[in-house]
Amino acid sequence: METPETEKSEETSNLGNATGSIWSQLGFDRFSALYVLVAFFIFFGLTEDSFLMWNGSLEFVLTDKVIVLMLALAFLVPLTTEAFDLSIGAIAALALLIVNKIALETDLPQGIGALIAMGACLAIGWINGFIVVKLRVNSFIATLGMSQVVAAIIRNIHDGGQINGELTKTYRSFGKGDIFSFNWPGTGSEIALPWYFLYGLIITVIVYYILEHTPTGRHMFATGGNPEAARLSGINTDRLTWGSLVGSAALAGVAGLIYSFKVGIYTTSFGAPLLFPAVAAVFFGASQLRGRPNVWGTVIAVYTLAFGIKGIGLRYPREISWIQPMFEGLTLLIAVAIASRQLVIKVQKRKVSKGNLDDGEDAEIESTS
Amino acid sequence: MGTLLKIHELTKIFPGQVALDDVDLEIQTGSTHALVGQNGSGKSTLIKVLCGFHQPTGKSSASYYPQSIKDTPSLDEAIELHLGDGKAAANAGIRFVHQDLGLVDSFSAIENISMGVGYTKRFAGSIDWKADRKRAEEGLASLGFPDIDVNVPVGLLAPSQKTAVAIARALHDWDKGASLLVLDEPTASLPGADVERLFTAVRRLQDKGVAILYVSHHLDEVFEIADTATVLRDGKRIATLPINELDHDKMIELMIGQTLVKRQQVAKDFDRSTNGLQIQGLAGGTLAGIDLHVEPGEIVGVAGIMGSGREMMVPLITGQTPSDQGSVAVDGTQIQNYSPKSALNAGMAFLSADRYSQGVIAIQSVRNNLTLSDVRRHWNSFKLDHKAEKVEADEWIEKLDVKTPTSETPIGSLSGGNQQKVLFGRSLRLEPSVLVLDEPTRGIDVGAKEEIHQLVDQASRDNAAVLVASTDTDELVRLSHRVVVMVNGQISEELTGDHMTVENIEKAQLQSQEQKMKAGAHGNA
Repeated sequence: METPETEKSEETSNLGNATGSIWSQLGFDRFSALYVLVAFFIFFGLTEDSFLMWNGSLEFVLTDKVIVLMLALAFLVPLTTEAFDLSIGAIAALALLIVNKIALETDLPQGIGALIAMGACLAIGWINGFIVVKLRVNSFIATLGMSQVVAAIIRNIHDGGQINGELTKTYRSFGKGDIFSFNWPGTGSEIALPWYFLYGLIITVIVYYILEHTPTGRHMFATGGNPEAARLSGINTDRLTWGSLVGSAALAGVAGLIYSFKVGIYTTSFGAPLLFPAVAAVFFGASQLRGRPNVWGTVIAVYTLAFGIKGIGLRYPREISWIQPMFEGLTLLIAVAIASRQLVIKVQKRKVSKGNLDDGEDAEIESTS
Repeated sequence: MGTLLKIHELTKIFPGQVALDDVDLEIQTGSTHALVGQNGSGKSTLIKVLCGFHQPTGKSSASYYPQSIKDTPSLDEAIELHLGDGKAAANAGIRFVHQDLGLVDSFSAIENISMGVGYTKRFAGSIDWKADRKRAEEGLASLGFPDIDVNVPVGLLAPSQKTAVAIARALHDWDKGASLLVLDEPTASLPGADVERLFTAVRRLQDKGVAILYVSHHLDEVFEIADTATVLRDGKRIATLPINELDHDKMIELMIGQTLVKRQQVAKDFDRSTNGLQIQGLAGGTLAGIDLHVEPGEIVGVAGIMGSGREMMVPLITGQTPSDQGSVAVDGTQIQNYSPKSALNAGMAFLSADRYSQGVIAIQSVRNNLTLSDVRRHWNSFKLDHKAEKVEADEWIEKLDVKTPTSETPIGSLSGGNQQKVLFGRSLRLEPSVLVLDEPTRGIDVGAKEEIHQLVDQASRDNAAVLVASTDTDELVRLSHRVVVMVNGQISEELTGDHMTVENIEKAQLQSQEQKMKAGAHGNA
């Protein structure tokens, strides 16, 4: 029964060996998303006039997707410890709602409202951590349940429709104001990037720094790789899992705040629907660069997906409502399929390159793939 | 006896590696043929070619003589067996029980056997569970395991019972033309006492005239049940000999290509200080409360059968499993808030028995695995200094003679012995004053085992107090200055000097078993 499959994977490993040099020199295996991104730019740049225009799509995609990027990082952080956080979409929506509600119904400064919103997000993240670490509920179940609880809280605070908290200019300019702006010579179109784009960039760099350049990050990946081995190496795996869930809630809260700078108004379409693109980007990103979840792979994935969708939207404006989810869904499936296929090839290669075709042990490796 | 299976000039070449080089193998009817060799000698590859997982290279050929098929006159003519074809092997009557057994833990024995064999169907197409149940019970009874509950998930069975289920499944159609049973490392995951039970089953098969190809690197087992042995080394067949022409040392010599010097610790006097590892009244699980003191520079071995408390010793000392009572002190300082972390902070380092699930992070690099015990030492107050970390990893790779392409290779791709060396490095880099080891060489081949033993020696020479719990009695005699034997959760005997022999240790362990059985009989009455 198993024979044809295993033979096949062995063949692909040989194929991988044969073409490996050119393939890996060009980095197709590690930078495939960048190549796809370039392909999008060439294709849509040639066929759609507005694609390469700043006001046409560049600015929109760059700034709009900061929110998805924050949510993707929110998903990525606990994923390093093998914990899933599916409540991030709902948490982002809660932050946005609280900011608007406080602005609308109280006299508190709106900045304080934003702090309260962040406080609420951190509290929910803390509870997520408590449920996962102390009550030993699988994180997938725990955060799925929590996302529904948060959705219920949102509906209790505000029953449907949108809220316009009429956020003041002072508040919104904190994020929406331009870092720089100038006129592109010739065309006269204004090129500008808002502050929140910079905030997103800074947060991304911080997450990257923590995950890849600090003992804490190393310990998080160790926890995800083998929790018992990590614990026996003196790592407090419970605290890391807990902390990563608080961190993900904080990042989700930031996504909500950025939206409040950018758009301001709370609508029901914000939040939960953004979970999927974020998750897709993280797994797509995991197939890039390092072959495991990582920050810059996620960044590349977020923007590759976004530009692809934008291009398709320009080309087929009427069809985009169904093409977008189709595109995101297929990307996730293909990316993960390719990633696990690479893993199969890697394992095959390892077995061969070992220089020591040992007995018994390769059975163990196979069982992990 | 006639020839049953003949493999001729079997060669398997992987890119850049000759795994099998012109190997001939001839198996006689009714014989138990052992296939031995170190890890990497090619024995697994041979089995994988035979079962059709790998394709052979070149002019490899094989033939079999179908003589055990009922109602078929024995043929003198050989039938060609197409190597690398799973179906052909099955048709030739070759049955396999692989190391991981291939059982679904959450299924019962009935379901596991039916899953491999095919369900008995009633005429409407529904499964006839009664018939399936009968088949499972009969199959297991004929192996000498009539006491297995065929309804409970096999995950709840003892390891030897699981192996029996896998064998019963492989041999379900024994009388319909199966000819050869291949057992690939059947005892790899079995604790000592279970091996005996498995051998009872194997002996029953031998009595029935079943030919067995027995793959193992436990030489004791080979001597106990095989009548012929083929030794592989570096993909070549070194010898095929009747077992009575071989002895333990001769076999090792054939396997590793050089003579192995037997070593033992020189007796030493230790002054009874408060330093080293001090255990007082430690209890939890099967461990009923023990006192033990290991001096700096001393190696104390812990022996005992499964359930004697030996298996709980290391988890309790290291804080992996919370203890019910008792205390542990390192160099006179009692450890507070017991956890692996506080034990490490107190100056203890340890290796747990299950390297795969509790030791390595398989997908991460050798470097990451090595420095995991204390990655902070490469923190330069701004970021992790990956370069310095690599330098340290390379130093350890050289020092411990780890065979790995680079420090960035995923540790999961190394052999068991090399993984274990990295884990030793993970512990030794902490310069521990107490080193606690559980089954330090389980599943590791002879050559690497000796290297690991030398590392343990070195640690004790560096004045660490070393505690080694092991089911490998040979290993305890080889390593220890003193061996304590666990019985019913307590230390029953302490052996030193000339009394510390394999025989004495095994006797002490067995005594415990007898006592326990007596106690059990009383309890039941």
